[in-house]
Amino acid sequence: MLETTVVVIGGGATGMGTLRDLCMRGVPAILLEQGGLAHGTSSRFHGLLHSGGRYAVNDNESARECIEENMIVRRIGRQCVEETEGFFALTPGDDPAYVEPWAEACRKAGIDAQELDVAEALRLEPNLSPDIRRVFRVPDSCVDGFRLALHNAMSARRHGGRVMTYHEVTAIHQRNGKVCGVTARNSISGESLEIACQCVVNAAGSWSGRIAGLAGLDVAVSPDRGTLIVFNHRFTSRVINRLHPGADGDIFVPHGSITILGTTSTPTERPDDTTPTCTEVLRLLDLGEPLFPAVRQYRILRAFAGTRPLYTPGNAAGRKASRNFHVVDHAEQGLEGMVSIFGGKLTTYRLMAERVSDNVCARLGVHAPCRTADEALIPDPDQAMLRRAARYFPVQGLQLMADRLGDDLPDVLQQVELAGRAGESDGNPLLCECEMVSLAEIERVARDPSTHSLTDIRLRTRLGMGTCQGTFCSLRTIGALVEHGVPLELSPTDNVRRFLQERWRGLRPALWGTQAREMELGRAVYAGTLNLDGAANEQDN
Amino acid sequence: MSVRINPDQCIACTTCVVHCPVAEATPNFLGPRMIGPAYERFRLLGLAEDPSLHYCANCKNCDISCPHDVPVSSINMLARAEQCKKQRPGLRDWVLAHGELQARWLRLIPAGLKNFGMLNPVTRAVLDALGIDKRAPLPRFASQTFRQQARGFRQSGQNRKVVFFPGCYVDVYDPRTGLDMLWTLNRAGYEVIVPDEFVCCGLPMVANGFWQDARANAERNLATLARWREQGIPIITGCPSCALMFKTELPEFFPDLAEKHGLTPLEDAQEFLLDCVERGELRLESENRASLPELRVIYHAPCHLRAQGNGLPGLELMRRLPGVASRNADAGCCGISGSYGFKKEKYAIAQDIGATLFRTVRESGAHVAVSECGTCRVQILHGSELPCLHPVSIVRQRLEALNPA
Repeated sequence: MLETTVVVIGGGATGMGTLRDLCMRGVPAILLEQGGLAHGTSSRFHGLLHSGGRYAVNDNESARECIEENMIVRRIGRQCVEETEGFFALTPGDDPAYVEPWAEACRKAGIDAQELDVAEALRLEPNLSPDIRRVFRVPDSCVDGFRLALHNAMSARRHGGRVMTYHEVTAIHQRNGKVCGVTARNSISGESLEIACQCVVNAAGSWSGRIAGLAGLDVAVSPDRGTLIVFNHRFTSRVINRLHPGADGDIFVPHGSITILGTTSTPTERPDDTTPTCTEVLRLLDLGEPLFPAVRQYRILRAFAGTRPLYTPGNAAGRKASRNFHVVDHAEQGLEGMVSIFGGKLTTYRLMAERVSDNVCARLGVHAPCRTADEALIPDPDQAMLRRAARYFPVQGLQLMADRLGDDLPDVLQQVELAGRAGESDGNPLLCECEMVSLAEIERVARDPSTHSLTDIRLRTRLGMGTCQGTFCSLRTIGALVEHGVPLELSPTDNVRRFLQERWRGLRPALWGTQAREMELGRAVYAGTLNLDGAANEQDN
Repeated sequence: MSVRINPDQCIACTTCVVHCPVAEATPNFLGPRMIGPAYERFRLLGLAEDPSLHYCANCKNCDISCPHDVPVSSINMLARAEQCKKQRPGLRDWVLAHGELQARWLRLIPAGLKNFGMLNPVTRAVLDALGIDKRAPLPRFASQTFRQQARGFRQSGQNRKVVFFPGCYVDVYDPRTGLDMLWTLNRAGYEVIVPDEFVCCGLPMVANGFWQDARANAERNLATLARWREQGIPIITGCPSCALMFKTELPEFFPDLAEKHGLTPLEDAQEFLLDCVERGELRLESENRASLPELRVIYHAPCHLRAQGNGLPGLELMRRLPGVASRNADAGCCGISGSYGFKKEKYAIAQDIGATLFRTVRESGAHVAVSECGTCRVQILHGSELPCLHPVSIVRQRLEALNPA
């Protein structure tokens, strides 16, 4: 039996942000997440830190929140954000009459949208369609949602917070109309855990309807499925939006070494309905063509899908449903101590966390102000440390690695320096060449108690997320981890098998061209040579 | 707008890494896949250049071995061009990239003096300090360039014409090979035109990062070539690197120039001579064959020849010569890669790469080694101590010996 003041349910950006906010105000809190870190929608979206331009016409208030939060997240989450800026481009298929109201709405929301000469836009983004009619530059940015959740968790830990991944909440207990605790099941050990608390924050995103259901509440949350395509390289260095009322497949986002195109929008029953289909991929390519005419020549690495947690009290659906967020205090329905946060989008995660924490603190009588907009998630590593690291890590990828590792950088550096002093030659090879991830970084992450599988390692390091999609790095990594005696939950074979299946799941809906060759190579290595598909007795048949 | 090559064709199979002679010789080079298509993704992301890029010798064994037609070495050369735009390469690289220009500046100085000036121990020590290894086999200047000598070469009355692109190596250091080419083509009934307008093909400039100079040379050469092409006269070269430059590199690097002047691929001179043999224009046999002792040659196929996928016409030519026993060394890269093996930090790598070839040549029992590429010949002599000649020189020697004029 654990005891705390607040249990936060949901390990995405909002939940982690709430945990951080509460802990910074001195409120003891524990976060429970059913899967790995950011296992839900926070790692299954565009990676776009909205300027608000997309919402300016329809929902000016959301747009204003976006631009304000955009500026804050850039400041506090420097390691998670790439300040790329964005374009809104009017294609021949878009209504020119939309432009002026849109520009006016941007002005009203405080979004700095500057018209740019088309020729200049094409000089900056040579792959963009030469047919575009008008271009505006806006302060869009790119954000790594997974890393944002991780760095919020690191910050929360520094302030005394506790994060428990792979813990699924199975019951919310109440006494006399008041929340008094939760039961969670450790999905790896199968053990059950009781936590006594005074408040529960439901920040489970697409799963928040189900969590509310555990407390006997009926809430209108409809998961809405969106599919996205990942391309092998970065053919745009800015976020490119179509200048029209928000629709499917009209945003390209450069993300590290790759580019993402999305999304679609279809209602779904299940929050974990995240297997993309070939039809969706083909449709996205059609939709993407007016912005990037060569879109079919770029190799698709994979497709993925996530579910938006749309809050639909008035039965609005799909693109018509509000992207706004709602803090609901369930005391109104007769359950004190339970607060839910519904809807919203990643760009405003911090504001959502602030509002929900305000509510919880008011109930608890805590008067400390919110400081999450002032303090950086991760302090910048000092230059001396980066110089030390340059002796062991590929120097050009150093900043990328430092950004990924956050608080773990000093630890990784110390380990690799110890190995260096022990005279291990080439003690720190790159295990993942496509994304430049070295042994030391992988080993550190693998030894983290919250890491159970290669997939957990992948999420934190980008292992297997580049060109080869795991073909070379998974074998190398499992070999290195076994050699170094790093324990993982599954057997090495099962670990690789599960990891590859997860990678291949995203490859299947776009299995043509070069990527089909890539996967055949992977199949030849693992199924053919290593017999990973387990045709153990085929000799006998 | 600079040219960029889409890195998507690479599936990371690492076949090129296995075939990269540099990656095998030194751990300092990350290897073709990593520096080429894989790192290209990081270049697009805005990361600083990988420090090992300069180890790529541009030998093109990656391109040859790639099952998916990824122009790996071109990605590397374009990256080097970008890098050199930001930071000008040093004096040493300028010297190695502009051999032809220096030769022109020094034209009035007698070769003996030039060679004494360049090759004496004091200068070699200075060059060594500059970064040109003092052990490297720097070629000697010829007393007169090939083109100067060609003007005095009496071509017998011919009615068929061919344009010959000599390449800097033949022009500046090795006119004898050029004259052998002239002689042999005359023998086949061709008048050989050697235009004065031709300048260096630009490959050494590309490899050393002097992109604008390479572009200027390309523009000048393509304009000249277009004039001869329009007259319907075949244009040939005996140098595989020059041929490769015109055939695949220029259109890849300077597509606008290729569009402006049209493409004029240079025909391989050895292939041209084989065609002459086929057509009966050049006779290699003779009645008094028994009077000549057998000549054993070992042939080295330059990497830049293999990169063109033309087969080995030079070796084929040797095989057609009566009384010549030829064998393909088939022992990989010689290591020199133009000016690469002259550089101080790369000399040992180049020797290491060539070691297999040197041993094969030494142990072959051949009288002479044969290769089309000038710097390959220098390197083979340096590494194996067996003289190395261009195939056309062997052709001339044998024909002269068989059929004294």
